[in-house]
Amino acid sequence: MYAKEMVKQSLPLIIFCGLGAIVAGSTLSVMSDLIREIPGLIVIIPAIIAMRGNISTAFGSRLGSAYHLGIIDADNLWNEELIQNIIGSLVLSFLVSIIIGILAYVTSLLLHVVPNPIKIICIVLIAGIISGLILTLLTIGIVYLAFKRGYDPDNITGPALATFGDIVTMISIFGSAVLIEVLL
Amino acid sequence: MIYSWKKIVKFSLPLLTLTIMIEIFAGQILQGKQESLLLLPMFLISIPVINSVGGNIGSVLGARIASGLHVGYISINLKDKEIHDNFFISLLIGFITYLILAIVIYFVALLGNLTEDIALIEFIAIFVLTGILLISTVAIVSVFTAFLSFKKGLDPDDMVAPIVTTFGDVMGILFLFLLFGLFGVGI
Repeated sequence: MYAKEMVKQSLPLIIFCGLGAIVAGSTLSVMSDLIREIPGLIVIIPAIIAMRGNISTAFGSRLGSAYHLGIIDADNLWNEELIQNIIGSLVLSFLVSIIIGILAYVTSLLLHVVPNPIKIICIVLIAGIISGLILTLLTIGIVYLAFKRGYDPDNITGPALATFGDIVTMISIFGSAVLIEVLL
Repeated sequence: MIYSWKKIVKFSLPLLTLTIMIEIFAGQILQGKQESLLLLPMFLISIPVINSVGGNIGSVLGARIASGLHVGYISINLKDKEIHDNFFISLLIGFITYLILAIVIYFVALLGNLTEDIALIEFIAIFVLTGILLISTVAIVSVFTAFLSFKKGLDPDDMVAPIVTTFGDVMGILFLFLLFGLFGVGI
């Protein structure tokens, strides 16, 4: 029975990610007033967080594979392969953000809540793109440091993104909701 | 060149869209219960935490089963001892994690002056029971997803994490409101 080993190896990291999620959750509770004032805002939150998690971890694990395939390394990081990956992640963020905004609006209407469609779509788009840019740069930074120290990026990007991804995304949603509320 | 942005978008978009549709469903449950949640900020803080821990434990379990299936020390059999051990270890890790995080959240909320009419013990009970229900469900889904994808010749490593985290997000929110009902908390 290797139970003790398994608990010892995974428990600290899972608790650490949980502490990161508390920071994200606290940001959510700070947004109480915005959630009251902007119908539909709370609907988009799980979707944006899930989109960000999916796109960033896939980006991170593709960079890990590219490293193992010998396509990128510390001295040859900013090449065409990396740029294609960055464009792919950002285009996905853009498209999925629009889908989230439309779905949140339409399903709210069906449930007799009437959000402002322009507001909701703008909030998702700004939050999706900003968090996408920050997490893409963060991932590249982590992968670069992993190369330099001779670590396997596959072991680092996943947990790092699980911890910081939700925080960055939640703060981006908060920021873009405040911005849109002020502008529109 | 190996990567092209068009291919990345084309291959990721369908599954991502499906995931988003399920997450919007989770979001609509939150909107329906919005008034309860806004009156109980401690639980608003808890939602990302419950879902993140559930998703992580489910994904770790799935990754371990996937490796076991690939290497051959786990067989596609619900009576497999490795599966049982892994299942109970996931529950144990979940219990310890949810317990510790419940205490942290309670005191973070107190520090933030988010005082509520709820005792520490009651909050811990709701939070940990939600967590245990979620981990049990997510672990079962994780095992079945790993088995099914392996049988169909798909790599369980690609399938388990997205399925388990998406499903876990909806179930985590549903279980939290179920426990609200049982404890008579909220509206």
